[in-house]
Amino acid sequence: MANVTIDGIEVEVADDATVLEAARAAGCDVPTLCFDDRQDPFGACRVCLVGIEGARAPLPSCTTIVRDGMVVDTRDERARRIASNVVDLVLSELPHAPDPDTELARVAAGFGFGAGHSPRWPGATHVGLEAERNHPYLAFDHDMCISCGRCVRACDEVQGTFALATVGRGFTANVVAGLDQGFRDSVCVSCGACADTCPTHAIWEVA
Amino acid sequence: MSNTVTTTCGYCGVGCRLDVHVDDDGRIERIAPTMDGPSNKGHTCLKGRFAHRFARHRQRLTTPLIRDVRGGEPRPATWEEAFDRIVSELGRIKAEHGPDALAGLASSRATNEDCYVMSRFMRAAIGTNNIDNCSRVCHSPTSYAMRKSLGHSGASGSFDDFELADALIVIGSNPTEAHPVAGARIKQAVIAGMKLVTIDPRRIELADYGDLHLGPRPGTNSAVLLGLAHVLHRDGLMDEEFMAARTDGWEELRDLIDEWTPEETERVTGVPAADLVRAAHIYGEARNASIAWGLGVTEHKYGSEAVRLICNLALMTGHIGRPGNALLPMRGQNNVQGSSDMGALPDTYPMYRSVEDESVARLFEERYGVALSRHKGYTIPQMFDAAVAGDLKAMYIFGEDVAQTDPNTAHVIHALESLEFLVCQDIFETETTRYADVILPASAFLEKDGTFINAERRIQLVEAAIEPPGEARTDFAIITELSRRMGHDMGLETPEEAMLEIAALTPDLAGVTYERLGRRGLQWPVAADGTDSPIMYETEFLTEDGRGQLAALPYKPPGSEASDEFPLVLVTGRRLQHYNAGTMTRRTGNLELVDHEVLEMHPDDAARAWVSDGDVVSVRSAYGRIEVAVHVTDRIEPGHVFTAFHFPEVRTNLLVGPSMDVNTSCPEYKVVAVDVRPVSEAPAERPALALA
Repeated sequence: MANVTIDGIEVEVADDATVLEAARAAGCDVPTLCFDDRQDPFGACRVCLVGIEGARAPLPSCTTIVRDGMVVDTRDERARRIASNVVDLVLSELPHAPDPDTELARVAAGFGFGAGHSPRWPGATHVGLEAERNHPYLAFDHDMCISCGRCVRACDEVQGTFALATVGRGFTANVVAGLDQGFRDSVCVSCGACADTCPTHAIWEVA
Repeated sequence: MSNTVTTTCGYCGVGCRLDVHVDDDGRIERIAPTMDGPSNKGHTCLKGRFAHRFARHRQRLTTPLIRDVRGGEPRPATWEEAFDRIVSELGRIKAEHGPDALAGLASSRATNEDCYVMSRFMRAAIGTNNIDNCSRVCHSPTSYAMRKSLGHSGASGSFDDFELADALIVIGSNPTEAHPVAGARIKQAVIAGMKLVTIDPRRIELADYGDLHLGPRPGTNSAVLLGLAHVLHRDGLMDEEFMAARTDGWEELRDLIDEWTPEETERVTGVPAADLVRAAHIYGEARNASIAWGLGVTEHKYGSEAVRLICNLALMTGHIGRPGNALLPMRGQNNVQGSSDMGALPDTYPMYRSVEDESVARLFEERYGVALSRHKGYTIPQMFDAAVAGDLKAMYIFGEDVAQTDPNTAHVIHALESLEFLVCQDIFETETTRYADVILPASAFLEKDGTFINAERRIQLVEAAIEPPGEARTDFAIITELSRRMGHDMGLETPEEAMLEIAALTPDLAGVTYERLGRRGLQWPVAADGTDSPIMYETEFLTEDGRGQLAALPYKPPGSEASDEFPLVLVTGRRLQHYNAGTMTRRTGNLELVDHEVLEMHPDDAARAWVSDGDVVSVRSAYGRIEVAVHVTDRIEPGHVFTAFHFPEVRTNLLVGPSMDVNTSCPEYKVVAVDVRPVSEAPAERPALALA
């Protein structure tokens, strides 16, 4: 077991626990965007950055393993500033604000980017991508995809069907089912794990 | 604002825990998997998540129906009238012909409490042990065999053992289609390094992930299992210390498996000798190894014997009673385990205590306050035989569409037509309700309280999320009310009270309360203090002498074999998007994904029959004929064809004959010799029954 101090609160966690798990055990809220309990930590979004005593720079709490005696500051000023910029950048690539009941909207609100927020860096958005509406249960609005990879990993790590993949590079990166065939004509088994995990409702359940 | 109800999925034996979100108007908004569900861990399949619209389908039965004239249209009736009719007819038949002229069927889709009160109704209100449930036609051989070999009827471990095992054999089961969440967990375990051997005449999806796939001829499972046992012995892969300390019957088994060399096994099964040896080594050399099986093992003439041969492998290697070392029957329906556990069987009270056991019978007599029969009742196939013979006069069928799902459909229909009185209690009109005199509108799993028991013996709470439509009532309410009107007031107001009664009467369930079940359920046996049993047989087996019973059962050929007249062997099974008779899934968006049945056929056989993909063919067996479109695929071995039974338009079970398991009368759905020929015209609207 390892003793870790999170925002002044001491907790005892398993040796292989992550800083995020320790923070949760201490009751400290660390926002995440690319993280899902059902998947291996990915460490891509940098929204869960925290300050760790002795570390040169903020570290992602979801992929950092605790050490005995570690002292963590989840409110570290530099970590929070970077995370805030990340969320603002993510919002800036969307054609419109995410639905209020999405995980992204909740995380954004936590950074003060509530309804009516205008991204600080306006510019290109993913507008114009064709939406998929040919499945009885699943719809895909590609323009709302933030490339967090949660749907791809849900399909791989939870369902094991490997129907989804990220294609394109840089700003044009997006997620497709099969060889861009859509859910219906790919090997997709319609389990819905992708919609379940999607933080922006780019993939959503047709009611 | 919406309200969230946590319940247990009603689709398959995995037992996913689901959060059902209901809006203010009492309609289901969406269903999501529960993060702390022990068997699903935040995941579910398209049936559990999406296929709930059937519950509000316009064809739901919303009022009792009475058929005044046999073969006529049923008319809506009041509950009062329906109950009166049932009470007077069941009473008349009991008075004229005795209680054994009546029989009831409980349902493996219903709750434990529903099944329990149904059995109590038949035993105490009617006075007969003629009660059975649909596990008869799926896993009764498993139940029989595990009781003989190990002592109890249920998985020896849990789905968690997939993640703890170093090797897994999946035989006669297609988890990624029939038990999707278990299938997903197996895949993840394989990706994480577990070795997987699949054994199936079809190259199932998991075969692509596994280390080795064996494709035996249908009906030769026993030979494969004897061959594996031979190699375990020959190559020193047995745990002799375990066998000496904890098993009986090795000498007989050793003599029997002596002849099952890999070469002999290959001759009988078609499985290459080298593959058989490799499979035995994968299982025998693993530190922790489990075996999962499904209806591809049980639904055979000697299905129960094959399950005993599976148990042999675990007993020879000591792969039992430890984490990662489980024997896991993949239960088909949501409550196959529970409906039998609850004693909805013609020969046992809850937890498999014989109706012939005087002390047990007295215990129940004391509780029920009436005399109970000491002799076994009819199994489902025996009920139909007795109806045709004129010995059985009335049936009460609850939650089962026997005219679509049971084998030898022509015989089943003959039986239903021979009855003087038939009551069906269901959520839709079905092929079976066509023959009913009274049809009672019942409730779906989303509309009732109670418990299900999943394939890992886990008793889990079921909680109503929505109301039954119209005048439909819960099965529990219907059966207890009818029992009261028949003169046997059970005094059970709620399913929870029923569970307390079951627990009080059943030592293996002594500590079960709804409060203790909570969010994660309990795996039976549950001691009086609430301690449950994720792993069974850790130190001893529950057989008479506490030792595992090795079974020396020789291979015998299946009841149906390919011949000149019927050159292909039909195997039937399930598809991912649909569920059994399809009464539920065909009334959801799943129909949009798969809207018709196909017959899977190997390209060589298709070429020989002059048919190509999409053609309609006639499939004929000795018992019936159907028409269906062909799907040409090399997923199936040459010489075999495969189809499911989800669509009433394709009444697959017309083809299945009367052959059944020798010990449990479970039908031989998995081996039917057929002839496939092209037909030039469009498929018939309704298939014809067999020409006598």
